[in-house]
Formats: sequence, C-alpha cells, structure tokens
Amino acid sequence: MKFTDKFKYTLLKVIDLSGMTFLSPVIRLCYGEEPKVQLQKIGQWILVPIAGVLAFLFLWHVTSGSIKTKSGTLPNPEQTWRGYKAINAHAERENLKMEAYDIVGEEREEMLADARLQLSLVAPRVVSTNAEVTRAKEAIEIETKALIEPLDTEYKEKKSEFKATALERKEFLILAAESLPLGNVEAYEKFLAEVKAAESHNEADKDELSLLKKEIDKIREIKSPDVADALNEQTLAAEEQQFLMKQIELLSDRNRAIQVEAATGKILDYKKDFLSLTGKDAYAKARTIAREQSRLSKMGDSSYAKPATIWYQVKRSVFCVFTGFLIGTAIAVPVGIFCGLNSTFMAAMTPFIAIFKPVSPIVWLPIALIVVSGLIPDPDNNPFIEFLWDLPFIGVYKINPAFIASAVTVALCSLWATLANTALGVASIDKDYINVARVLKLGFFARLFKIVIPSALPLIFAGLRISLGVGWMVLIAAELLSSSEGIGKFVWDQFNNGASDSLAKMMVVVFLVGIIGLILDRIMIVFQRLVTFEGTVSV
Amino acid sequence: MAILEVNNASVSFGPISNRYEVLNDLNLKVEENEFVAIIGFSGAGKSTLMSLLAGLQKATSGKVLFKQKPISEPRPDLGIMFQNYSLLPWLSVLDNVKIAINAVQPKLSKSALDEKAHHYVKMVKLDHAVDKKPQELSGGMRQRASLARTLSLDPEVLLLDEPLSALDALTRSELQDQILNIWEKNKRTVVMITNDVDEAVLMADRIIPLTMGPAATLSDEFKVNMERPRNRHTLNDHPEFMRLKSEITAFMMGLNQESKKGTGDVIPMPKVKPKSFSLPVMSPTFKQNPVPVKNSSNVA
Repeated sequence: MKFTDKFKYTLLKVIDLSGMTFLSPVIRLCYGEEPKVQLQKIGQWILVPIAGVLAFLFLWHVTSGSIKTKSGTLPNPEQTWRGYKAINAHAERENLKMEAYDIVGEEREEMLADARLQLSLVAPRVVSTNAEVTRAKEAIEIETKALIEPLDTEYKEKKSEFKATALERKEFLILAAESLPLGNVEAYEKFLAEVKAAESHNEADKDELSLLKKEIDKIREIKSPDVADALNEQTLAAEEQQFLMKQIELLSDRNRAIQVEAATGKILDYKKDFLSLTGKDAYAKARTIAREQSRLSKMGDSSYAKPATIWYQVKRSVFCVFTGFLIGTAIAVPVGIFCGLNSTFMAAMTPFIAIFKPVSPIVWLPIALIVVSGLIPDPDNNPFIEFLWDLPFIGVYKINPAFIASAVTVALCSLWATLANTALGVASIDKDYINVARVLKLGFFARLFKIVIPSALPLIFAGLRISLGVGWMVLIAAELLSSSEGIGKFVWDQFNNGASDSLAKMMVVVFLVGIIGLILDRIMIVFQRLVTFEGTVSV
Repeated sequence: MAILEVNNASVSFGPISNRYEVLNDLNLKVEENEFVAIIGFSGAGKSTLMSLLAGLQKATSGKVLFKQKPISEPRPDLGIMFQNYSLLPWLSVLDNVKIAINAVQPKLSKSALDEKAHHYVKMVKLDHAVDKKPQELSGGMRQRASLARTLSLDPEVLLLDEPLSALDALTRSELQDQILNIWEKNKRTVVMITNDVDEAVLMADRIIPLTMGPAATLSDEFKVNMERPRNRHTLNDHPEFMRLKSEITAFMMGLNQESKKGTGDVIPMPKVKPKSFSLPVMSPTFKQNPVPVKNSSNVA
C-alpha cells in the first residue's frame, strides 16, 4: 500500500471513530474516489446543514427586532457576536492587567510607554463618541418632539374642552336638581338617568384622553438604533480608556516591583532615623520598621487579584461537571453491576431508583448545599479545603462548598442513566460468554472483570454518555443557584447586571454551553466506540 | 472401562404443564482415546446432548458419568468447543487462549503462560494472527482460535459441537485434517457432533446416529473399521468408506421418513390469536380460554 493510501485510511478510521462521518466524503473526494457520489454526500451532509444554519441566522436577524424586552429588543446575531467580543475582551484585558502587575525592568517601561500611547489615541475617541451620543440623543429628541407636538396640542385642547363640557353638564344638572318636584318618583328617576348619562359621557372623554396619552408615551419610548449604536461605541471607548488607565496604574505605582522598591527605600530611611533615636521614639520607630518589613514580605509573593474571566469560568464548569460525573460514576457503576448480577438486589434497589430518578436538580441543590456547608462549616480554615487549594492544576479553581454542592447535584442527577444501563448491560450478557466462564470455572472476580464487565462496557459507556450530557445541563442550573463560579454564575451575574449588552452576553452563553456539551458528547462517543465490538450488546 | 458414560438420561424443558422432551432415555459409552462421532439432523437435540456431556445442562433423569463419577458442573477437563466459536470479542486470539490456560494453571509464570499460549496458537496455524481481535478473523480462523482455546485446557475429553458446520467446504476439509493431525499426535477421547456423513466416516472410530427429535435418542452405532491415517484423496475408492457412507445415509434418510410418518404429516403451527385492543374487563372472569381446535388440514 502506498503511503498516501495508508494516510487516507488512517484518516477515515479516525473520522469514523470520532463520529464525524460528514468529513469522510471530503477526504474521499480529495483522493478522487467516485467524485459524483462524494459531491452528492457533501451536498447532503455539509452544504444542507450550512444552509440550515444560514436560514436560522436570517430568521433570527429578522424576528429578533420584534421581540421587545425591558432592556431593548432581543439581540440579533450581530449584537450577540459583539457580546462575545466584549466577553472575550474582558478576559484578555484581565490577563494584560495581571501581566502588568508582574512585569519588571525594561519590559515594564516599554509596556508603560505603549499603554500611554494607546491612551492618548483613545482620548479623542472618547470625546467624539460622547459627542456622537449627545448628537444622536438630540436628533431623536427633535424627531420625537416633532411627532409628539401635534398630539400634545390635541391632548391639551381636548382636555380643556372636556373639562369645560363636564362643568357645563354639572351646572345644568345642579340647576335641574333644584327644581325637582318632591314626591314625584318619575321625575326623580328621569333625573337619575340624566346624571348617569352625564357620568358615562365624562368616562368616555377620560378614556379618549388616556388613549392619546398612551400614544404620546409610546413615541417617547421609541429607542433609536442610532442612539443604541452611539451608546455602544461610547461604552467601548470608555471601557478601553478605563482599562488603559488601570493598566498604566498597574505598570507604575501599583506594580509589584515598584511597590517593593518603594517599601525597601522607606525601610532604609526608617533604619537611618532609627539609629539616631533613643527611648520611646526608638521603640516606636522599631515597631514601624517591623510592620513595614512584614508588609514587604507579604507584598513579595502577592499577585494581582484577577476577577473571574469567562474562560476561567468555562474551565471551572468543565472541571466541576467532571468531578460530579466521576462521583456519579463511582456510585452508579458498582451499584449497577450488583443490580445486573443479582435480581434480588435489583428488586431492593428499584424503589429508590424509581423515586430518586425524576427529582429535579433544583431540589437536590439546596439540600446538597446545606449538607456540604454542615460538613464544612468554616471553609476558610478547613484542612480539606486548604489541601485542595494547594493541589497543583486544580488548586487554581478554588474548590469551595458551593463547588462541591454543585458537583454532588450533578452526580445525583446524572448517575441514573449509567446505573440503569450498567444493570441492563450486565444482566443481558451473552449466554455463550457465561458458558465459557462456566467451562473455565472462573471465580467470581475473574468472571466479573474478564467476562461480565468487558461485555457490558458498551452499554455502560452509552449510559455514561447520557449521564455526562445530563450532568452538563444540570450543572449550569446548579451554578446559577449556588453562585459557584462558572458559566451558570456568569449568566446570573448578567441577569442581575442589566446592562445594555447583558442579554447579548447571555445569548453567547447559549452557544458556549451548546458547543462545550457537543464536545463532551463527542469525547464520550469515541470512548463508546473504542469499547464496542461486533457481537456485543450495544445501543 | 468407559471414560464417559450416559445412563438412561433424559432432558426436557419447559413448565410441567407443557413439557418439551428433547432427549429421551439416552445411553452412551465412550472409551478412552476413542473418537466418537454423533450424527443427526438439525434440531434433533445434538447441542443439548453436548451440553449434557459438558455438564452445562443437567439431565432431568438418568446419569452422566465421567470416570465413574457424576458430572455436577462444567469442568476444564471436559473441553467443549462451542458451535458458534464463543470467543471473547474484546480479547485478542492470544488473550482468548491465555485466559483459558490461566484458568487451568493459575500459578504459571508470565513467560511460561505466554509460551504455552503461543504453542497452542501455532498448533492451529494461527500464529500470524495472534494479536487480532475475533471480529477481524474469518469464520475458519475463528473456529481455529476456538479450537486452540479448547486444546489449551488440555482436556481429557474433547467435546466438539458441530465445529465445522459453519464453514465452507475447503476450509472445512483443511480443519478436519488439522483436528485429526492434532488428535493423532496427542491421543485423547473425542466426541464430535456433526451433520456430515463424510466427515464422520473420515474422522471417527464409531458413528452413532441421533434419532429425530422430539424425544431423540441414540440408535445403533456404526463401527468404522478403517486403518489410520486415512487419506481423504483415496477415500472415495475405499470400499469400506463407500459401504459405510451409503449405509449410514440410508439409515438417516429412513429416520427422516419415519419421523415424518410418526408425526402424521401435521406440522404444529404456532397458536396465533389476533391481539385484542379493547380494554380489559376489570371484574374477574372465570371463563376458560376456548381450547383451540386442532386443524389437521394444515399444510404439510
């Protein structure tokens, strides 16, 4: 076989394994294999989905404008994309700030000069965007004024007219009342009817006025896209300016090296003074020096207090879902195996499985939170938490009770699929394999690990795949409720933030969560295929 | 002294009310180092007989003895080779053999285990495919791997359950030669089930026909008085071979006709009733289901 052919089959094998079969016609086409068939397949499995996505984007673009919310209309694809860029810019800026805090020597000088240059470039942009916002606002004001003015005059005219007619009616009726003949019921009834008619006239007039008023308010509420765009530009420029100022600060006064240098200098001065003092003053100076020195040593290994960025939150969420998933698997697989092996045990477990399976994460989470906080009442001084924070790789994720509660919730909600599938896989093992085990007289553990588990693996992995998918869905809700740093908390923060682009940022999360879920699913598919053999039970 | 003995054994399945008798009053004696072929039609209960001999199936009545002792459960010295290979698909050929050797000799060192496994794989001429998974092998290769696994148990009795019936004619004759070769080199007791008269005459010392099921039993044996090694190429000119072949074939055909006569040409049809989708009546009814009328004018 030629090398290129070998490469081709390796590629096709990998594609098949990862379940991305839509790519295989592309590879085959590149090797000139039945171009007509491949083009047809490409059309069906690549072009049609792309067309579907485009159609979706178009529909989204068209309809989003008509869904009005308190914070503007539903963001269209473009605004959502801008939301993504804003989220990403925040993450990048935080990284730069951290760098600025740590940087020393000539590099610091260079970075500082660069930041100052950028700041000088941004300043006119800030001015111009501010001016643009004022201009746009004025423009819309003039426009609305022109629209409102005739309505307003009409409103005022009608109001005074109605007032006058109402007064007229009132006076007329009072006059009529004065000449009512006592004892004449008919006349009294007639008078009552007249009053009623007059009142309903008044009501009708009021309704007409309020309709007009509503129309005017509606015009006032109209949000001009120009203003929104100008505001957007203004925010972008202001944010950049603010960032650059902060960066410059971190590069100069608040830079760690600079701070350390300043403190060292100060201590040296203090020491000089100290040597020339005696008595009470000497004691006071000595104390100051001691305090300054301890501050200096702390400053030496301090780092920039970086707020959570989206990518950190994504990583923490993924870490949390895998933690929960592993806890769930550690429970579900052994229990599932025992259920599959022993029908009596299965019968004993069935009520628990049936009752706990449909329980929502919203119920599990508060319980998990309370239990975990009960076990770890003082997280700041808990040896277990301290141990976790000191671990390499996972230490940065600062595992706290909210994290553990979220992971436990994920485990409790996701383990059922694995449990059921493991039990099924173990129970439905091929009789031939059991016969082999019987002939070989394998002991319990040999039978379990050499025959039962390998033959049940495809179904176990099918269950794990479902579990991970469920876990990922549950986790976002759990993080949102428990305020465990992660994607869910990001959504919650945006919801409470209520800035003009908050909604767009939440829409970004929809895609982010979807794409990560897709990747997790693909990973599980690969594992599932690796353990599936011809002739074994699979889904 | 017979090494394997079956005394008046019967096997039946199903609940007492609807018992299906597969084997009835079966008697068999197999001497040490003898090659016995059991021949029968498909569905006669051959595999049940094999499970009985291997200890995978308990006799409803009667006894199955191995070295005068009743067989209570399957054991490695009764090495059975399954009809459908039964290789573990997640293990390579070598590992399939190793798991068997490990079960018989758990104290073997790693290198000795490896050597032994390679020896058996080589014996069935699969040494080029030791690391292949069963799904990557052809039917013949799978059967050879299965044979290697069974041989690696070093069983005193080799039970071959239609080992070659799923193979094409060429592979089949090649494997027949291989099995015979191995057997002649290292004599042991073999009971082979087959549905091929030629195969039985070529390989066995004795041929015992199994009558048609249900309630099948073994009928009178045919002794194969032919010198070994037998040459398949000159076999067709051998008068004894031709005589035995025609005799057994005639006997088997007779069995077939007899069995058809016995059941009176009526093929029992499954009792199919239309499904009722009406709601079940909640109050208990004590009516019995109407007894289905046997339709004797069924298609023959």
